Parts: sequence; structure tokens; C-alpha cells
Amino acid sequence: MDTSRTINLGEVSLHLRSGQIRFFGVAVAMDSPVIAFGRKTQLCVLEKRKTEEPPRWESFCSRTLGPSSLSTMSSPNIRDLLTSFSHSLDFLAISSGDGRIKIWDTWKGQVQTEFADITSSIPGDLYTKPESGHLSVDYTCMKWLHLEKKRKREAGFSLLVLGTGSGDILALDVSAGQLKWRVSDCHPGGVNAIASSPHTLCVYTAGADGMVCQIDSMTGNLLGKFRASTKAISSISVAPDGRTLATAAGQLKVFDSADNKKIQKFSGHPGAVRCMIFTEDGKYVLSSAVGERYIAVWRVDGNKKKSASAVLAMEHPSVYLDCKYGDNKGTEDVSLYVLAISEVGCCYFWYGRNIEELHNVKPTKISLSIDRQLSKNHKDALPTIFAAKLQCIVKPSSGQVFVAYGSLVKPTFDKITVQHGLDVKLNTSPNGVLLPLIQTYKSKKVLGAQTEVTALDRSNAEDALLPVPKISDFLDKKRKERHPSRDPDRVMTHDLVDIQREVKRVGSKDDQETVELDSATICIEDRLRSLGVLTSEEDLTRDGYPLNVNSTRNSSIFSDAHFEANITQKKIKASVLSMTSADAYKLLTFLVNMWKSRSGSGKYVLPWICSILVNHNCYVISQEPDNQMLSSLYKMAESRSVAIRPLLQLCGRLQLIIAQIDKAVVTGTQILPNDQQLDESEDLDVSLFEFRVVLVHPSQVNQI
Amino acid sequence: MIIGGKSFVSSPPAFSNDAKKLLVSTGNTVSVYSTSTGLLMAELEGHKALVTSVVVVSASTPASKILCYCWTSSLDGTICYWDFSLPELMKKVDIRLPIVSMVIPNLLGPPVGENGKPVDLFAYISVEHVTKRDDEAKAFPGQIRKCNLTKSRLLGGVILAETQQPEAIIISPSKEFFGILNKRKLILWKVPDKDSENDVVKKIILHHTKSFTVLAFHPTQRIIAAGDVTGRILIWRGFGKRTFSRSVGSLSERTVESEEERPGVRGDDDAESCSTWHWHPAEVMVLSFSFDGAYLYSGGKEGVLVVWQLDTGKKKYLPRIGSPLLFFTASPDPSLLSISCADNAIHLLKMPSMEILNSIAGIKLPCSFPDTYQGLYGGVVFNQTAGLVAIRTEDYRIQFYSLFDDREVSQVRICERNHQPDDDITLVVTLLALSVDGSKMGTVEVKLPEEGIGGLVCLKFWASGSRSGDFTLSTVIYEPHSDAGISALAFHPTRHMAVSSSYRGDFKIWICNDDLQQKDQVLQKSGWRCHSVGSYKKKPMTAAAFSADGSVLAVAAGTVVTLWDPDRNILVAVIGETFMPIVSLSFVGNSEYLVSISRGSEPQLSVWSMSKLSVSWSYKLHVEAVACMTDASSFAVLALLPKSSKRLASDENRQSRKDGVILLFNVESPIPLSTWSVNKAKAGGLAFLQVNPSLLDRKISDEKAPQALLAYINSDHEYVVFDPYNGEDHKIRKNRLENLVPQDETGHFGYTSIYGELQEFDIRRDQTTEVPYAPSEKLWETIFSGSSHILPPLTKLCSTFLESLLEKRPAIQE
Repeated sequence: MDTSRTINLGEVSLHLRSGQIRFFGVAVAMDSPVIAFGRKTQLCVLEKRKTEEPPRWESFCSRTLGPSSLSTMSSPNIRDLLTSFSHSLDFLAISSGDGRIKIWDTWKGQVQTEFADITSSIPGDLYTKPESGHLSVDYTCMKWLHLEKKRKREAGFSLLVLGTGSGDILALDVSAGQLKWRVSDCHPGGVNAIASSPHTLCVYTAGADGMVCQIDSMTGNLLGKFRASTKAISSISVAPDGRTLATAAGQLKVFDSADNKKIQKFSGHPGAVRCMIFTEDGKYVLSSAVGERYIAVWRVDGNKKKSASAVLAMEHPSVYLDCKYGDNKGTEDVSLYVLAISEVGCCYFWYGRNIEELHNVKPTKISLSIDRQLSKNHKDALPTIFAAKLQCIVKPSSGQVFVAYGSLVKPTFDKITVQHGLDVKLNTSPNGVLLPLIQTYKSKKVLGAQTEVTALDRSNAEDALLPVPKISDFLDKKRKERHPSRDPDRVMTHDLVDIQREVKRVGSKDDQETVELDSATICIEDRLRSLGVLTSEEDLTRDGYPLNVNSTRNSSIFSDAHFEANITQKKIKASVLSMTSADAYKLLTFLVNMWKSRSGSGKYVLPWICSILVNHNCYVISQEPDNQMLSSLYKMAESRSVAIRPLLQLCGRLQLIIAQIDKAVVTGTQILPNDQQLDESEDLDVSLFEFRVVLVHPSQVNQI
Repeated sequence: MIIGGKSFVSSPPAFSNDAKKLLVSTGNTVSVYSTSTGLLMAELEGHKALVTSVVVVSASTPASKILCYCWTSSLDGTICYWDFSLPELMKKVDIRLPIVSMVIPNLLGPPVGENGKPVDLFAYISVEHVTKRDDEAKAFPGQIRKCNLTKSRLLGGVILAETQQPEAIIISPSKEFFGILNKRKLILWKVPDKDSENDVVKKIILHHTKSFTVLAFHPTQRIIAAGDVTGRILIWRGFGKRTFSRSVGSLSERTVESEEERPGVRGDDDAESCSTWHWHPAEVMVLSFSFDGAYLYSGGKEGVLVVWQLDTGKKKYLPRIGSPLLFFTASPDPSLLSISCADNAIHLLKMPSMEILNSIAGIKLPCSFPDTYQGLYGGVVFNQTAGLVAIRTEDYRIQFYSLFDDREVSQVRICERNHQPDDDITLVVTLLALSVDGSKMGTVEVKLPEEGIGGLVCLKFWASGSRSGDFTLSTVIYEPHSDAGISALAFHPTRHMAVSSSYRGDFKIWICNDDLQQKDQVLQKSGWRCHSVGSYKKKPMTAAAFSADGSVLAVAAGTVVTLWDPDRNILVAVIGETFMPIVSLSFVGNSEYLVSISRGSEPQLSVWSMSKLSVSWSYKLHVEAVACMTDASSFAVLALLPKSSKRLASDENRQSRKDGVILLFNVESPIPLSTWSVNKAKAGGLAFLQVNPSLLDRKISDEKAPQALLAYINSDHEYVVFDPYNGEDHKIRKNRLENLVPQDETGHFGYTSIYGELQEFDIRRDQTTEVPYAPSEKLWETIFSGSSHILPPLTKLCSTFLESLLEKRPAIQE
């Protein structure tokens, strides 16, 4: 803008009615009757109206640029933001310094209504001049009053009391959308603080003139006025019972609100106090001053002791304080919960069972998790927590906090439960933020991943884990649990994962090198050991049971060979039925040991065990308390069933590889016979064997 | 005790004289809203039944514009006079007949007669004249009568008209004429200049070939407009010149006038001309002239506000209002007017740009449904932890409404589809389910087949966003059970698991693999998958529920209940059976009991014991809804009163349209702990809400915290939330409950109305007991709904009561 120049601040303020506007920069275009200026967080353009005499400046356009775009701060800052929750927390009033007040509906997260230029809405008011738009009003403090219902029928109506930089106090009836009353020039130099207590029907205001005014909140009549300080008062607070009143400039003073007599004085804050609050019983005052990174807790007792009872440290100066008492079971004193918002938009939460403990605790932080990418591009509109209120105490050391966070364009409202000691991270959504073009690609990707919708069609049940229902029979249940896998083939697969030594003795054709190579396979021996089925002393050799085996073999009419050959189910059943129960039980013991010791392949042993259990269950169960055999059998079967899945997977993979090998027609002669075996059989023995072969010839596989 | 969910659109609203306030009749109260912010300012409480009309006393001078007086009429038979700025009840006139509509012609403040005497104020009211005995049903219960408000009495003998239904009265803005619609006739009256009790009110009748739906008067000229069911707008000019201008007895002019040409005027009707406009495809619901009479506003079912230029017939539109228009109210400020829509919203429009300034919206009203698909609708769903109710709206959305705060929380759009109010219904959201913590939502929508082709069932799972009531779509499953419709949808109480059951005979368990995605870095599609499929003898599965700990899944297969292990898909047990298919199942808290409901010709409420696998006890009741406490062993049911009992019920009870009863049971015993009778119970909902600590904080804290609150929502989506256990609260609650009910209760209700056999019962009681109480004098509702210590001994009460039950079903008894 080469045709513009920056002009003197004072010069422009002559044109504007309100002298209290704080300028950051002013630019005037030379050849057009337009001036632009920045003010707090807002860029305003004024246009000169030549048609009227004298020429008037009228607001042409204005734009809020986010909390800190005109100032040089790089971190978010909510110092200049005025927020106030309504009594029942269903509305939040926000004024970001442009003379407009937005009332947000906290339930829906929408703007309920917006007030701009409320002063000119009353016709016949001498103080308002028609040209003063909303920009000429500079709100400095805001407080939402809830007036108790006097009559039952009356809906409790709420007032929003506002102080302006020009010293006026305005009360806005929010539900009617009208100015309820107005006290003009109450505090020359500007109103700095407003306080009220729920039990009294009056508002206390304090301003730059050092005076405290008491105003009837229904009518706006000035009830009283007294000088509290020679300097400008920066903060004021009333105890909940309305009896005491605290004012603060740098020095904190406590007054009796009945006769305005000073009770106590605390000095300790070097600067002006920004926020101050009484505890619920009025015994303590919490305060924090501009630029201080702590909250001081003062005890109001009329003593001469002037030092703070506790100091709560935080990382940035606080802009808002809230506190609540909770019950302490068993003890007389009450626990204290303190909530503060720092000026960078972080929430801090303290909990102490008494004031001493409060002094020592570390705060719990409620902060926003900010997307780094996003924050780099949106320095001016960083999401912050800008309003919070301690709603209630859920249980000791945790409270429910109602927070408003996100961007000012689209705040999010949430009820969160804060447990002391557990930091809370709130997620922000980029809703409502205008994303620059460069950013869209990346953020879209992120958003796309979040909002991906799974769509299933008619065949949705094809990949169901349990596509067929089963029936549980209460009588069968016990037995079933002992035999989770009755299928002999399946059980046999466990046997393949075996200990080398054992299998060698049995003389299986399986070469057990494969097991070592497959690290994912579960070692059954270890598993059995851990379950206590095997003990380390009990060596898994057939020699461990020589007597037992021999005796059983002798006593039974069956030879060992029976258990190593494939016998049909019918034959097994017939022979088992021909045995006496005692014999069958002995045989069962033998078979279990055989299986346990790997002397017999599960494929052949298990049909026998099964058949005996089915046909002689009564006797076996009657023997059970003395003999732990069944439980050990159950444990063993279960531990093996765990291994079945990875083995089946392995089997499938191997078959796939074999099939590929087949296709490629590899010339390896050693493999060919094995392949043929595999074609016929789904037996795992073979596939494992095959696996070994493949591993032996990795080069061939690679060639494929 | 919270009452809410009232309809804002039961009758036309009224503006205050300065157009800053809008008076809306909301149930038994009148709510005063600010037109600039749309927030509630005050409430006028005093009527005991639905407020049917609000008439603001108009200001004659600019200075009196700030005066805030109004008259209201109600179905409870009273007319009240209010100062609504304070707000304060000033006067009450008891008519003792339900007033459907009221107009007051001479409302210019307190009028003063010629001789300085104040002139009486008259109102014309439309009442429903109910006869004592219903067997001689009167042909014309609707009457238009005149009422002297100053002297607080109905003028005897003055019945202006009798109609089959009580009709709404419409008055002209000039307050000279008023009229009603009666089928194909318009009946118009001229208000006498000097209204007194003896004056004869002259009337004319205009005819048409179709039924009229709406009527409007021109503010200055003798023009009326009327809409009919086919969408035509008829405009008569110069109506009633003959009758109204002529003095009584002079008949000479008649012959002269009848010779004039009167285009469009039917027969001997008293009007100069009649013209017809036709734009609306369906019936015209809204018709109003602008304040200067240059324009005519019309609207109808299609949700478009049409502005006609009266002289030329040129049209301008405000489309996309999204819901059928019901009422149109012009304000004293010509730039502001309001339209009431069928979705329970009042929009304030700025004229002439016709933009919506503000909306006052409440709970969505139940939407109309083709009768054939009525059975598809699964009713309302509650989020018990947050105290929300989820309501299906007409435009394929789900509205979440906070019961404690009586306001909308959010709306979730279920399917991407435009909604036009006059479209044929092609898609219906039939089922809705929320998980216990409110973080998951499942919806089922059915695309209705057109000529038997193209029907589609679609199951959607939603995950909640940052706020409560904010949901994003996570999974869509098309045809989850092939072509079959879904009968029930239920969520696992703790895990990401849901079950859907179909009429085709299978149920599917769905799991959400959110956790898997976090474990593997590989981006796995998060979403719901089918976990298992189950069926029982190919019987249609009609209801499903998880137990409180989630270890047992109960699925109703027709008349039996099958119990499953949801993880392993194992059928654990089958219990049954009932006479009719079970439509609803629910586990009672942590107890081992299951409640089942079956409807139809043999309705049944059964409580099953899980340990014994058998019926614990059962009732033959038509139950609409069941609510179970999450951590206690009691449950509440909403039962419809059987039709047979209605015959026996007293007049008052039938008039009050009380058709349901809420019974609170403990699972251990079939004797209800408390009883409340309610109206409009059909398609109502019931739920126990968890008590929110923040809610308690807001209330008076010295009272004991209630265990849980019971919420009842009726078919009109009016709801009440109360503490079912607090005996202290009982009195207040009862009063308030009566507020919900249109009629003051004096007769018997509750058990008398159900079983109607109390005479015999009472005599026997008097003989056998010496306890000093008089059951015949006591209301049966109070006996059953009081705290247990003031009740007569239950052992005695129970036996006789059960006997009376058994006598109803003699066949079963044998």
C-alpha cells in the first residue's frame, strides 16, 4: 500500500468517539476516504461518508483475525477474551473484543444469538449517538448473573452485566435480547471488574477510579459507593454469602460488605490482580496477578498475618479461577478443588485434602492435543481452552469440569471428569477452521482415514468366525471338556511337534529338524512342564514306565502292536465293550501314559482312549478322585489344542509352496517322490516332512 | 419431576403488541418467547389441560403497546386472563366445557359505552358439548357459543352453530367478522356493532364442492380466501353485502341483487364474485393476508410458503422449509411474522426478504407412517447415562433430546437423501439401538419396495464423536440378513459387540475390530464384522437382548427364548413357551430374571428365572414398553388398558383418554410396587435414567438422592421424568401427572378401569377385614401408587386381586 501512511494515534482517535480503543496500527489510504486500523484482535475499516455534513466515519467492514494475529505473540493468548457461563451452563457468552457478544448454546454447539450495538437499541437514550456502532464499545469485563426466582411462575431470568472501557455498566437481559439497564460513567477511566453473589440482589463493580459501586441488579440503581483504593482496582470478588468483599489492585483488601469497613489487607502481588475468587465458605481468597505464574491462596481471618497460605504454581499466568469444596469423610476440614485456565489456554486442576496439602500437590493438566502440521499453519487461530467451570465433585479427588475449547469460530463444549493426577488431553477437530490450500491434501488424507466407512454386502457372513451354532449339552459337557478335540487327526498333529529324542525312539519317519527351524511352534514339552503334567525328573522315555507298561501289556489281551496300527472304529468299539470295566480302566491308564510319553502315535492311541471313555465312563469317573489321570489327560489335550492353529496355518502355506513347485516342474529328483505322497494325503506328517525338504533346497525355491 | 417435550404447534401462536414477544401454547402452559433471541422468557401456568388459543389484548393507542394482557382458553373448560409481562393470572372464567377455539372481537382494552358504563366483553367460543351418557351419542357435539367474559358466564340458549366436530373459529383482522369451516360450507358471522347479550348475530353460508381446510379474512375489504383439500384457493369478494348491510326485515333489495352477474359464485351465496387459484398439489393448510391486504400467503403439506399478489395472482416462494406448514401468524410489526411447522418448530420470518431470523424448536413430533409399515417402527430409544432420548424424525434423522434440560442436543442424519414433505415414503428408519454407555449407535433402515421390487434392508453402525449425541458412520451392511427384515438390534453392555435378529430365522453377532487396528501398524479397516451366525429350528427370531454382564445372549425364536453364549456361539438353553411370538426381551439388572413381552391376541408379560429356566410369573397384559434398572432388581412396564375395560370405565376416564398404566414391579413378586395411569400410551416409551451428579447439584441437595429416575414418553413425545420410589414426592408428582392429562381426575381409574369388578371385591373386603380403612371411598390409583406403609395389607389385597384376574380367564383356570 504505497498510497497509505501510518498516522498518529491521537489524530484518529479524535475522529472516533470512544477514546478507549487501543490501537495497534492505523493505515489511511490517500486517495480514498477509508481508514483501516487494528484493534486488539480485529481489523476494522472505516469509511468516510461525504454525503452528510459534517462527514461521518462509519464502519465499513471489520474482521476478527483470531486471538493474536495483530499482536506479535506467537503462542495463543486468551487474555483479551471475555467469557462467562450462564448459571445452568447451557449458555456461554463470548466477547472477543470487537464489541460483539456471542451467546453459544453449549448443548447444540451453535450460536444462539449475537448482540452487537446493544447501546443504540434503546430509542431516546441521550447518551448513545447514532454513529456509534458496535466498534465504539469496548467491553472490559463480563459477568453472567442469575437472578433467583422471586415467584414460582417466573422463569429465572438471567442478566449479562458488562463493563466498558468508557466506564459504563450495561446489563443485558439475554432471553429478551434487550438492554435491561445502564449506568453511564460509573467508573471514569473504565470498569475493570464486576462481581456478584447469588444471595444478594446486587452487583459490585470496580474500576480505574479506585471506587467500588454497589448496583441493584434488578433496576440498575446505584445503592452505594465507596473508595477502596487510591489506585485503579483491577479485580473484585464477593464471598458467596455476600458478607465479605475483596478488591485488588496490587494489594488485596477484604471489606465487610455491610459497612464497607476494611477487615484485612494482603500485599504480595507485585502487579495488578487479574483474577480472584472466594472459596465457598468465604474463608480463603485465591488470586493471581498479571504476569505471575502462580495462584496465591490467602486466609481471611482478620489476622495480621499477611503471607499467603499456599501458592499453586503453573506454567503460564492464569486468567480464570474456580474452586469448590468437597467432603472429607472422617475429618473436619474440607478438601479443596481448584481450577485455573492459563493465558495460553491450558487448564490446571488441583486437589488437596486441606490447604497444606494443596500447597504441595502438582496440578493436573487439561490440555489440547494439537496437530503439529495444523498448528504451524494456523498460528493465529490455535485451538485453546478458553472457558471452564468446575461443575461438581464426582468423588474424592475427581471433579466434573465443563470446558469450552477449540477455536473461537467453532468452540466445542464438553463435560469431562478429571481425576487428580491424571492429565487429560482433549482432541480438537479442525471443524470450522478455514484450511489454506496447501494444507488440504494432507489433512484430507487424515480425515479420510478417520471417516472411512466399512461397507459389507449380502455375503457379510462369509468370513464369520463361528458361522455355525453349536449346542451345548449339559450332560455331555464334562466329557467334552476333557476332549476338546476328539478328532484323531487333529490330535495327531500335536504329536508331530515333538521332542526329537522321543520321536527317534518311537522310530517315526518324521525328521524333527523342522521343529527347530520353526521357531513359532510351541514346544509341548515346555508347555506340559509348566502345567505340571510332566516333571523334570520324569524323563520321557518308555523306560520311565517299564513296570507299568509291561504289566498292562501282560494283563491285557492286546499287544502293543494294536496301538500302532490303524484299526477301524467298529473293531475298537467291539473290543472295548468286550473288556471288563477294570480292564478297560487299566488299558486307559496305559494308553494315556503311552500318549503322554509319545510311545504311541496319537492317531492310533486316541480312538482307543475315546472309546474307553465313552463306553466305560461310569467306572472311569468313579476311579477319578484317586487317580488324577483324567485331569492330566485333559490338560495335555488342551495344551496340544493350542498348537493346532499355527500348525494348520503352516500346513496350508507349505501346500501352497509345494503346489508352486509342482507347477514349475523342478528337476530336483529328491523331491519328487515326496510330492507324490503329499498329493494323496492331507496328513501333517507328510507336509512337515515336505517342509524339511523345501528348507533343504532353498536354492530351488528361490529359482522359482 | 420434569415435564417436557411439549408441542409448540398445537395451536397458532400470538405476538405481543410490540412484536417482541411470542406467546406459544405449550401443553398446559403458555410460553413467552423473545422474538429477537428465540429464548424462553416466562411461562404462564394455570391451566390443567391443553391450552387451545391465546388472544392478546390489542393496543388501541401507541402508548398502550407495552401493555401485556392476554386471554387464553383451554380444554379444561376455563378461560384465563393474564398479565404476561410479570407473569400473573388476573382472572379465571369457568365455562365447564372443553374449549377448542376462542375469539374475542371487541378487544380494544376496556371499552367504555356511550353512557360511560363499561361494556361487557364477549367471546365466541367453540366448545365440545359432551353428553352425560355416551350410548345416545349426540350427532353434533361441536357448538359455537357466546360467552360474557366480564360477567364470567356462558350465554344460555345462544348456540350459533352445531357441527359434528368442534371447529376452530377464525376472526377477521378488523374484528368485524368471524367464521368457521364446516365440511363444504363456510359459515360467517358479523359481529354486532354494539355487542350485547341480546343482539342477533347475522350469518351467511358460502358453499363449495370440496371440503374446506382453511379460511382467511382480508384486513380491510370484504374479501375472504379459503383453501380446500385439493389445494385450490377460493377468493370471494364482497361477501355478505346483502345480508350484513341490510337491516332486518327489508327484503326489497334481494331481487335487484340477484339479477347482477356474480361470476363464480355458487347458487344463492351472498358474494359478488369468486375466483380460484390453484398451485398447491395437496391441501392448503395455511392462508393469511398481509397486513396491508396486498398479498396473500399460503402454504401446505409440501413445505413451501407462497406469496400471492392479490390483484394479479403473481407468486413468490419461500421453499425448503422442510416440513408441512401448520399456522401462519402476522405480527403487529409488518416486517416480522411467524410460521409454525409440523416438525414442532416455529420460524420467525423477516419480511419482505423472507429470511428465517430465528427458530423456536422442540422435540420432533411423531411422524406419520403408512399403516402397512407401522409394525416396522421400533419406538424411541433412551441413552440412560446421559439422559437423552433418541427420536426418529421424518427427514431420515435421529434427534437427540435432553430430557433433563428439555432441549435438543443434536441431530444425526441417517441416510444421505433429500426429504420433501410431500414425497411418498420410500425409506423408513425402523430400528435404533444405543449401547449402554451411549458410544455406539446402530440403525436399521428399510427401503420400501416399489411394486415389489427394490426393497433393501440396511444396517448401519455409528461411533460417537467428541460430544454426546454426535455420531459418525462407521459401518454399512447392506442386506445383513439377505432379504429378511431385522426384528431387533442390541448392543453388548461392555464390549464392542452387537446382535441383530431377523425374521428369516437367524441372528448375527457383529463385532467391531477397533482394537485390532491399534495393535497392527498395518492399516486394517476398522469396522464391524460378522462374528457368528446362529439360528434355532429356522424359527423367526423376533427379539434379542444381552444380559447385564454380557455373558448371556437371549434371542427370542418365536414363542421360545433361546439362550446363547455370545462368544462361542453355543446354544446354552431353550426356555418357553408363550402363546404369541415374543416381541421384546430384557434382562432385569443384575438379577437372574428375564422379562419377555408378547402381543397380539394373547398378550403376555412374563418373567423368566434363569436359574430355574422357567416362568417365574406372568400377566396377561398388553405391554408397550419395559424399562429395567441397571443395578437393581425392579423394572417398570407400560401397559395398555384393554379395550374391554374401556367400556366399563367411567365417562371422565374415557374423556381424559387415559389408555395406559405404568406398573413398577420387583422381579420377585407379581404385585406391583406402584402404579401410575397415563394417557396416549400407545407407542410410548419408558426408561430408567441414571441420576447425574451434576443434575443433583442443580437441584435441592438436602433431599435424598433418588436411586434412578423413571422417564415416560408418550406417543406425542411429551415426556415426564420422576422418581418412582420417593414417597414424599408423591403428592407433587401426582399433581403434575395430572397436568399431563387433559382432564381433572375425580372418577376411578387404574385398576377399576382395567378390571371393573371392584363392587363385589369391596363388599367382601368389608366383611373380612377389620382394618380401619374404606376401600370403596379410596381411589384405586392412590391405593396402589402410595408408599407401601399406607397401603392396606398386601396379602389381603393380593389374593382378591389375583382372583379377579383369574375370573377374567375361566378357561385357563380350569
